[in-house]
Amino acid sequence: MSSVLERLSTAVIAGDAENSVKLVHRALDKGMDPKDILDNGLVPGMDEVGIRFRRGDMFVPEVLMSADTMSAGLDILRPLLAAAGTQLIGTVVLGTVKGDLHDIGKNLVGMMAEGAGFEVIDIGFNVPPERFIDAIKEHQPNIIGMSAMLTTTMRAMGHTIRAIEEAGLRDKVKIIVGGAPVDAEFATRITADGYGSNAPSAVELCKSLASAS
Amino acid sequence: MAPAFSAAQTPLRCRRLNDTQCERLFAGILEILERTGVLLYEQTAIDLLKKAGASVVDGNRVRIPPRLVENALKTVPKEVTLYNRHGDPVMPVSGYKSFFGTGSDCLYVLDHRTGERRPAKLQDIKEGMTVADALDNVSFVMCMFMPWDIGERMIDRYAMATMLKTTTKPITYVTTDFSSVPDVLRMAELVVGGPRALEEKPIASCYVNVTTGLVHNEEALQKLLYLSGRGLPYAYVPSTQGGMTAPVTPIAAMALVLAGALTGLALSQINNPGSPFILPGWGGSMLDMRTTVMPYSDPDKRMLVADFAHWLGLPMFALAGASDAKTVDQQAGIEAALTLTTDIMVGGNIVHDMGYLDSGLTGSLAQLVICDETLGWLKHLVQPVEINDETLPLDLIDEIGPGGHYVDSEHTYAHFRERWYPSLFERDNYAGWEAAGAQTLGERAASRVQQILDTHQPEPLPDDVSQGIDAIIRQAEEHLSDAD
Repeated sequence: MSSVLERLSTAVIAGDAENSVKLVHRALDKGMDPKDILDNGLVPGMDEVGIRFRRGDMFVPEVLMSADTMSAGLDILRPLLAAAGTQLIGTVVLGTVKGDLHDIGKNLVGMMAEGAGFEVIDIGFNVPPERFIDAIKEHQPNIIGMSAMLTTTMRAMGHTIRAIEEAGLRDKVKIIVGGAPVDAEFATRITADGYGSNAPSAVELCKSLASAS
Repeated sequence: MAPAFSAAQTPLRCRRLNDTQCERLFAGILEILERTGVLLYEQTAIDLLKKAGASVVDGNRVRIPPRLVENALKTVPKEVTLYNRHGDPVMPVSGYKSFFGTGSDCLYVLDHRTGERRPAKLQDIKEGMTVADALDNVSFVMCMFMPWDIGERMIDRYAMATMLKTTTKPITYVTTDFSSVPDVLRMAELVVGGPRALEEKPIASCYVNVTTGLVHNEEALQKLLYLSGRGLPYAYVPSTQGGMTAPVTPIAAMALVLAGALTGLALSQINNPGSPFILPGWGGSMLDMRTTVMPYSDPDKRMLVADFAHWLGLPMFALAGASDAKTVDQQAGIEAALTLTTDIMVGGNIVHDMGYLDSGLTGSLAQLVICDETLGWLKHLVQPVEINDETLPLDLIDEIGPGGHYVDSEHTYAHFRERWYPSLFERDNYAGWEAAGAQTLGERAASRVQQILDTHQPEPLPDDVSQGIDAIIRQAEEHLSDAD
């Protein structure tokens, strides 16, 4: 691997956005392929961040700095990737379910997913099933992510999945859930495709679901 | 009747914040309300505040001038009394008196029979209330569990019915939305003898969940307006997570909680001057930045809001006896003991969440009885110390002399039961402990729970009252299914 890309990964891990922008430009000036810069420079940096977070060596604010750093680099590459017809990793629609106003967790997932290279469409909070369905039709995402913070609103996740089934769209998307009262057992019971116990895990889950689809 | 704990008369009462700090904090909170304001998602509340002089922009961004809070502090009662089923004033809440109770809505129960963590059912509420009814140091109840075997729109009514039927102690109910409040109150009215009886001697108070300090959801405001209108007691509790919905420093996170609480206070007194209002007694919570869990027993926030509530002179709804541990292990014991001790020392008033594990997601009856035992220990700690001729019998000491013994003296016979004796902790010698089964505290606690369930007979409601409560449930079920 070229040292420019290694240093780019390091900049992402360190949360050094200024340096990551410089290194992306340098890599482009060297004639490197934008997809190569993304896959072998930016993404490995975020992968390492995920590993360190799971180990307890990095904390959420540090992960967010790294996500911002990745986004700064990705912003330069995005138009070039689009022009070449290259897809980003995937599209994720995120929403907090009906009756619930809590959105910080969802926002965290969105920031990190963007940092990981996803296109993120955030449809907000207090989202009834119909609006999730509209979002699937409009954006054709790979993944729907639902968030709830309240024990009393988490059941809306099950209702939303049923509604998506009834609309004949269930096989078009993977559905993941998360939030303080949610766990893997609940996710299985409501027939979601996965559960993220925190934002970085949710993004890891999105990556594995997107690459499988 | 469970007696109050009060550290007030002892040197043990302590503070973390001094008066100067409280003044500065208060000034900061008033600045947040006037300068940054709150988002209110209920039109009547917005209109009331606007009419009283608050500024409203963008429809629901409300900036509250300090005088609305200052006026409210003049009219709000400094005491609130909660009553049991028989109309006895068992919880005269004021000053530094502490009353302890359970928490609500745990999704899981750590089953004392099997050690299994499983989704909670309605039967778990019934068992939890039976145990709470039996324990001497539990003064009030909350429902403990959120039952998965009940349709979500009926949960609040079934929980209230079960609490009213199973214990005579005062009840703090939650309710997800506003629509179940009238029904749960009608049930309470049946028990105490009507709406006027409920208002004069409230057995039930509401715990109102507010989204965050500066974001007030519609249901919270609806409940505040309805309950303050009737003069019924409730705690208005915004939640903030330091590092997420508030700055990460405990003081800032608690300032936002209090800004939200004082918004509610101002509104309550505009709506009905002199109506009771219970402040939150904790705040300054954090988000754990490694696990993204909001811990219950972190030390940084301990005692701060309760201190400030005393400085304002208002009753508060506090939190202790809860643990982030996943089982009834050493961490659970330590965290319950530390939080109960600090709340007694700061004089937290209505202290809930005993028996909570897993940061509020799992409830444990074994943990609850351990909290009860711990409170017994603490009660003795904060007893006033008397030095008099009985406690320091100099004549007796001289009579018995340097080499004599006291074990068969009348004085010992008269006073030995005054020392604390554990009923759950053990202090046998090693051989005795082994012979009794070599049990851990967790094992003894589980046995104690089963013993209570096997032997404790809560006082039943009169048949007509019980049937009346059932009728309210039936009507609600019919009405809700018609609406589908």
